[in-house]
Amino acid sequence: MNENDFDRRDFLKVLGAGGTAVALSGCGYTSIEDGKETVTSYVTLPSYVIPGISNYFNSTCAQCEAGCNTMVRVREGRALKAEGNANSPINRGKMCGLGQAGVQAHYNPDRVQTPLLKGGKAISWGDALKEIEGRLSGVKGDEIAFVTGTTSGHAQALLGSYMEAVGSKNHFSYEAISPAVVRAANKKAYGVAMPRYRIDKAKVVVSFGADFLGAWVSPVYFSQQYAQFRKGNRPEGRGVLVQVEPKMTLTGANADRWLGIRPGTEGILALGLINALGSAGVKVPADISAAAKDYTPERVGTDTGVPFDQINKLAALLKERTPSLALAGTAAEGYAHGSQNALAIAMLNHVLGNVGKTVEAAAAVPFPQLAPVVGNRASLTALNDGLAANKYKVVFSYGTNPVYSAPAAMKFKDNFGKAGFRVAFAQYLDETALAADLVLPLDSAMEDWATMVPEYMAAPEGGYAEGYAQVSFRQPVMNRLYPDTRSIGDILLALLKQRKPEAYKGFDDFYAYLRGNVLEKKVAFGGSAKDDNDEFWNDVVGKGIVALKGVPGRLSPKPSVSGLALPAPATPDSAYPLRLIPAVSASMRDGRNANEPWLQESPDPLTTIVWDSWVEIHPKTAAKLDIVEGDIVEVASRSGSIKAQAYLFPGIHPDAVSVPVGYGHEAMGRYAKGVGANVFSMLDPVFDKETGELALNETAVKISKTGERVIIVKEEGPVGGSQAGRPRIAVKVPAGKVDLTKEV
Amino acid sequence: MSVSNLLENWSKFRHTHPVDDKGHEDWEAYPSDIKWAMAIDLDACTGCNACSVACYAENNLAVVGKEKYAHGQEMHWMRIERYWGEENGEFHAEQGAQFLPMMCQQCEAAPCETVCPVGATNHTEDGLNSQIYNRCIGSRYCEANCPYKVRYFNWYNYPEQEGAWPSPMEQQLNPDLTVRTKGVMEKCTFCKQRTYVARNNARNEGREVADGEVQTACQQACPTGAISFGNLHDPASKVAKQWAQQGVDINKDKQDKDKEREKIEHQDKEPEKALRGYRILEELRPYPSVMYLERVRDESAV
Repeated sequence: MNENDFDRRDFLKVLGAGGTAVALSGCGYTSIEDGKETVTSYVTLPSYVIPGISNYFNSTCAQCEAGCNTMVRVREGRALKAEGNANSPINRGKMCGLGQAGVQAHYNPDRVQTPLLKGGKAISWGDALKEIEGRLSGVKGDEIAFVTGTTSGHAQALLGSYMEAVGSKNHFSYEAISPAVVRAANKKAYGVAMPRYRIDKAKVVVSFGADFLGAWVSPVYFSQQYAQFRKGNRPEGRGVLVQVEPKMTLTGANADRWLGIRPGTEGILALGLINALGSAGVKVPADISAAAKDYTPERVGTDTGVPFDQINKLAALLKERTPSLALAGTAAEGYAHGSQNALAIAMLNHVLGNVGKTVEAAAAVPFPQLAPVVGNRASLTALNDGLAANKYKVVFSYGTNPVYSAPAAMKFKDNFGKAGFRVAFAQYLDETALAADLVLPLDSAMEDWATMVPEYMAAPEGGYAEGYAQVSFRQPVMNRLYPDTRSIGDILLALLKQRKPEAYKGFDDFYAYLRGNVLEKKVAFGGSAKDDNDEFWNDVVGKGIVALKGVPGRLSPKPSVSGLALPAPATPDSAYPLRLIPAVSASMRDGRNANEPWLQESPDPLTTIVWDSWVEIHPKTAAKLDIVEGDIVEVASRSGSIKAQAYLFPGIHPDAVSVPVGYGHEAMGRYAKGVGANVFSMLDPVFDKETGELALNETAVKISKTGERVIIVKEEGPVGGSQAGRPRIAVKVPAGKVDLTKEV
Repeated sequence: MSVSNLLENWSKFRHTHPVDDKGHEDWEAYPSDIKWAMAIDLDACTGCNACSVACYAENNLAVVGKEKYAHGQEMHWMRIERYWGEENGEFHAEQGAQFLPMMCQQCEAAPCETVCPVGATNHTEDGLNSQIYNRCIGSRYCEANCPYKVRYFNWYNYPEQEGAWPSPMEQQLNPDLTVRTKGVMEKCTFCKQRTYVARNNARNEGREVADGEVQTACQQACPTGAISFGNLHDPASKVAKQWAQQGVDINKDKQDKDKEREKIEHQDKEPEKALRGYRILEELRPYPSVMYLERVRDESAV
């Protein structure tokens, strides 16, 4: 290497505070200290670095599973702001609040900085890896378990290889909040687990609790589709959104009509609509018709609490305006009969002829080993059962926090303790890391190399591309803040080297593995065999997105309605008369990002509350229970209880109460610890009968006042959501009275 | 600039809007044919808060924590207000909620400017309501006089005493603008650090600032593209087209379309289909530079 001709990685190594720390730490970590490279003075800069001018590096967001493509602003070696990559089919240059808070995950003051033994004793990486090797010796493959969140890309490929190398099939992909039931129902109804929804092409969207603008699947992508959907001057006209859910989500707050349905009766309404459509002359396939025949509007009205004339109106609207789109989401799937609910809703799309129009098959990446291993809640049950039966001697945990998010009734923490040796790869000392015997510090998503394959494969702008699939690349946009953190790829590679030294000896680090692997498959990754390796690689990393010729999915023409039978609505339990709906908010999600202060200080969009949990209660229910805003109430189920401030909320069914998930951490860091209450802990262990997923909305609760009262800290003023008689503050206009056709 | 200079030449620094604002002679180096303005489509806005977080990231806003938030000392230059439908004193949710992104409206005749005892807030030649931090003495008169409640006061020394950016979080701070200290008023600047880069680039290259060349942080983040921003004096810009199409004139305190509509309503006739553009508290005559587009709700369908 020419002294004056060094690449960006070297530059990052010597520049920035992290670089300084590395150079001074004397741990033998950098090649500079090893004497293989020389430190070049700041006077000699790469041509693209001009002090005072920012550089932008394309990368991929790691804040949720949607995997938006980012463009990170970097100045003088410091990452400043995550912005959207305009060429991304997923987020098209846009970013949500959660994604932007990724810089706070990177610069978080509470990050783990060195490998730690239980009790907090710092050890070196060499010792840590030796410890793992020692603990694994003599342990059989099926006594090793690996619990992760959703994983994909080359790290997943290495994880797969590692599990194979140790002879274990126990990879548990666990996400506390995931559309797992809907995936299974989709598979039955459409033949694909995660189809591509075309909200932008639909004239009417009926969403049964799918919070696609807030926290469901790929919210930034759906938000852009929604913007198209709402345009009065698109050929289909302005779309109508009807949201059916017992607790209003952000999407419900944006609906033309929000129907606060009785919890658990979403499937009944879907079959009622099918029945009404049949009566109105829409052709319904015989088997679906048979399943729906008993659901007359009168009966459905009684069961669901949705007035029956509204059911008929909605059916008429759906008949008149096609294509439409029915979505089953988090609120509909969270029951013991969640699969049935989701299937009934999917049938609505078949009856309305939406399948193939607004429900399309997406393509898969042509490399199965890179495909996402999507998380669900059933895998936690499986892991927990195995732990309880003392099946696992060594458990690895990465990218998930089951000790925090498992219901207390599962006794996960105790069972986790039964494993002989527990290793947590962690960025924070969260609940799971604290329960581990060895904590290995991870790089932030601004520091590591990774590839990511989104589960929801977005369509590029300009229409539907049948075979479109993409792999997103994440690159270090700055040097490590702490010299002793490692990427998951590097850790997995080191573990693999313990098992198969010969096979992996050619790869110094994960970067070498990744680069080698991509160059090996250069043609499949969109290059040509003649391309210069360096140029090709720089192009791939520079763009951050590789469009691939994917394996097209196929929708099944004939849906399977077998086993579609819905239970009657649950009768209220006299001891626990209310239904608990754990709410998933766009910024807090499952709580893994709770230690990022922008998210804590960002008001919940619906209640405007900050820095705490709350219990949403319908004003009528509150009046009955003599509860006023700010009363600290105890919400108790058969499995546990929490205390939180009561907030009177019009967007909730009177028989339900709602508490947001993601709060109530006992550890993790200064911004998360002790803020609010953890609602996961009190969930009843009720599971979806078909998929075995934990049914999030099946917890019956009672509410009692504790006698304490606080002033709720929130954004809205003393008059709450009132405009105090001012006529033109936030103005709403009926669609029939406004001319949208000529809008710019 | 000394205070005496300021006081003696007050008329030069104070501008009376709307029509004849030509700018101060010192600014002649810059072209004053720019008038930054915004349009926010409330039918596209979903209330997701992405804009607000983007503003924290871009403008070095301090996170104040629960206790100070409770005291009303939060620093969010951009906030989302949430309203419910109201009937007989009760809120109802059948049509969802109503969201309103609210930040400094960059009024052309800003009520805050006239009351500042030291001229710390005044009008720039590109139509912004500026806040000069090192001139501000913290009287908070401007905050009291702002009808939109979008001015935020630094009650504390956030960076040094309150630990708002514990190490290494300070490395995230945007070097293009300051971190404000105790006793200083601050507010939305329409991302002045970005508009100035665009203007300087354009000037260096001997051209006009192109439409879309500069995005505010909130606009850039907005997942539904509800916010447009640009030069109102450039008839080809999107924002100017939107204002014109919606019949909203920045120099009027009551729009012609509203007068027309009132006349028709007065005759008990059904008005024709209306346009959605309006400005908040226009009747107070601050001549705000932000036009909102009404949220549309299909009431008849279901």
